[in-house]
Amino acid sequence: MSEISYKLNHIQHYYGDKKVLDIDGLQICRGSITGLTGPNGSGKSTLLKIMAFALKPTHGQVWLNGRKEFVLSPRVRSKVTLLTQKPYLLKRSVFDNIAYGLKIRKDMGDIENRVKDALKSVGLAHGDFARRQWHELSGGEAQRVAMAARLVLQPEVLLLDEPVASVDTKSAEQIRKASLAARKNWGCTLIIASHDLPWLYECSDTRISIFQGQIFSTGTENIIPPPYDLSQKNHPVKWLGQNEKSEHIHLAPGKKNNKFAIIQKEKIHIRLEKEKANGWENQITGQITSMVMEKNAELIMTTIQAKDFFIDISLSPDQAENLKLLPGKKIILMFSSRDIEWR
Amino acid sequence: MDFLVAGFIKAVELLINFDQGTWSAICATLRVSTCSMLLSLGAGLPAGFLLGYFDFKGKRALRTVLDTLLSLPTVSVGLLVYAFIASRGPLGQFELLFTLTGIAIGQTILAFPIVTAITASVVEGIDPELKLTLLSLGAGKKNIITTCLWEVRYGLLAAAVTAYGRVLTEVGISMMVGGNIKYHTRTITTAIALETNKGLFADGIALGIVLISIAFAVNISLSFLRKK
Amino acid sequence: MYRKKLISTLLILAILLSFASLSLASDKSLMMATTTSTDNTGLLDYLIPHFEQETGIALKWTATGTGKALKLGQNCDVDVLLVHAPAAEKAYIKKGYGKDRREIMYNDFVIIGPVSDPAKIKGKNISDALLTIKNHKSPFMSRGDDSGTNKKEKLLWKNAGIKMPDQEIWYVQTGQGMLATINVAQERAGYTMTDRGTYIKYQAQQGGKAPLKILVEGDKILLNQYSVLTLNPANCPRAKYDLALDFSNWMASKSAQKLIGDFRLLGQKLFIPNAKQL
Repeated sequence: MSEISYKLNHIQHYYGDKKVLDIDGLQICRGSITGLTGPNGSGKSTLLKIMAFALKPTHGQVWLNGRKEFVLSPRVRSKVTLLTQKPYLLKRSVFDNIAYGLKIRKDMGDIENRVKDALKSVGLAHGDFARRQWHELSGGEAQRVAMAARLVLQPEVLLLDEPVASVDTKSAEQIRKASLAARKNWGCTLIIASHDLPWLYECSDTRISIFQGQIFSTGTENIIPPPYDLSQKNHPVKWLGQNEKSEHIHLAPGKKNNKFAIIQKEKIHIRLEKEKANGWENQITGQITSMVMEKNAELIMTTIQAKDFFIDISLSPDQAENLKLLPGKKIILMFSSRDIEWR
Repeated sequence: MDFLVAGFIKAVELLINFDQGTWSAICATLRVSTCSMLLSLGAGLPAGFLLGYFDFKGKRALRTVLDTLLSLPTVSVGLLVYAFIASRGPLGQFELLFTLTGIAIGQTILAFPIVTAITASVVEGIDPELKLTLLSLGAGKKNIITTCLWEVRYGLLAAAVTAYGRVLTEVGISMMVGGNIKYHTRTITTAIALETNKGLFADGIALGIVLISIAFAVNISLSFLRKK
Repeated sequence: MYRKKLISTLLILAILLSFASLSLASDKSLMMATTTSTDNTGLLDYLIPHFEQETGIALKWTATGTGKALKLGQNCDVDVLLVHAPAAEKAYIKKGYGKDRREIMYNDFVIIGPVSDPAKIKGKNISDALLTIKNHKSPFMSRGDDSGTNKKEKLLWKNAGIKMPDQEIWYVQTGQGMLATINVAQERAGYTMTDRGTYIKYQAQQGGKAPLKILVEGDKILLNQYSVLTLNPANCPRAKYDLALDFSNWMASKSAQKLIGDFRLLGQKLFIPNAKQL
């Protein structure tokens, strides 16, 4: 787990004048499964395309296995593969779709069985599924076929962009199993972008959250997203809810433009009742929306919603037990404005 | 009106009796249109791909010119080709006037803009995800081009069918460049023009029916291809 | 895989075949430009196989108006001409485009019109007839294509002392061949001038019951002389002058002249051979 697969240096990317990605540095370990989270338009897809060497960043370099690589480099072509958000199936049979990558690599040995194995790994090996045409598939099946077309290549790096955004639960489960099997069977490094946090927490070792093109933490932080306002006393605040200005989060002083408010997960506490004068001026009412066991850690990833604001915290099983926490339960989030950093 | 019925009967007669003039016109038509289609597809598909796939300065202007060329009058093409291949023309030494090759050149000029323009539109319409998908599967430049063209094969087929329809039915070029020479450069359309000119409407209709049958057969076989 | 190979093989085969078949045998062949009347009447289809058999020269012809035929000769796009506009032909030779002119045969022009003859021109001489048509403003179809027939028709108007009626509403220029023009005249119930050969062909097509009849004929000026013209090698060095001369001589030969005289439709002679034997 120590060998470095990816290293990103000062990556910036622009669409026209608009900066969509600004990453100072990022390292991904070989054989790790990294979850990539962030709201729509935060730059997840752009980052994945750059890491797949399908898009040249405006500035900066991407290193793979200690070498600076570029788009269409023959070294990366056989190693890195990306499953895009809306994967395009070639207008051919399922078999030909999956065999395409092998054929252009002129790697035709035992192609029948390899395609079959790939289909099996995504749970589609039944009957003569391989003979079906591209237009005879459901959305979930198409996604799994596209996944199989990547898996058959046994890539060193597999990048998945919202692989379960528009599929049924069965397909999502198959894609998760196939991702884990890829690492287990040939040490594949995976980076998975997803909105489905519970699903993502089940498959990934570490998380990176990305917001407005910048990377925040690797799973230990929460962003309190903008816009930010100033209170009457000139303190920075974050209003919750779209329009009603009823409840707000007190932020740390020192707000600057283009900086974000960040809080470490461990600085957030959960109570069942509001408390007086405990030094935590933020006491926000929220509701638990999901609780998922994190992989490789004895912690429960708990997502709490307060109006339009979502926050993740990691709880030990004991903590959850003591407070009798369950999804749907109303709780109070408590934290101090001094623990909020501007970054 | 009765010449319509007479024309139909005549068409069957001409074909069954293996009328030499009719069959030589059919052969000439098929040869020359096949040749011009192969040439225009050979040049037009790559040209259309380049035009549709890449962005460059002056692309819009080029598209406008190309779209204008779609409505090239066949007689103008005929005149242009005549000017070049007449014995006094710059290509006179090749003696192409009054030959099927001459007609094929003219028809290629006619079909090329059609093939190119439709191919360009089809290629422009390719899902951007396709290129990304191919890149991510490890395709090189050559794989990307060939796979993209294969992905839009039905659109390209439509381009070919449209161009073939124009080539098959044009009369201006065949008449002006080919000279309507019996057993040599008389095609179905020039034969129709001649028979009509002679007032033999039934014969004209008969040949028209033959022409439509050819077009029908071509389209049937292409739609069969499409199903597969 | 096999299918791909098969398809590419078939494609290559198709390309080779279509190119191979495009090139014509050209060792001893002659290209002629002629008028629509010789072609439309079927005379050439009847005559030329005899020529090819006797001389071994392959003759191809393109049928157009005399005006365009002369132009094709002037541009050296053909080797020999068979046309019918004596005045234009003589001027053509004078300008150095043509070399030898051999008169081969003639027929004559006639004015035809509806049986009812609304302008009452039947039996009149040609100039009077045209004047009557003009005064009566009866529809008159003209080829209007600068063909030999059209040239002759213009001459007739001039001869009758009538200014060319191009702009008149009753004067219809079809811009088409002779038979097509006769068909227009039939549709419009108008008059037109045609060579007798084409008229007989038209009659044959109508089963002898044509709605248009010959109304004016017999004037000397209506004579329609066909001649073979060879091109001037000084103007067209690549034109096959020798073969063209062979064709000219053959057309004037006794055997060809007899064949022309024997060519009949509805029992009527279409052309009368009149080549002078040298």
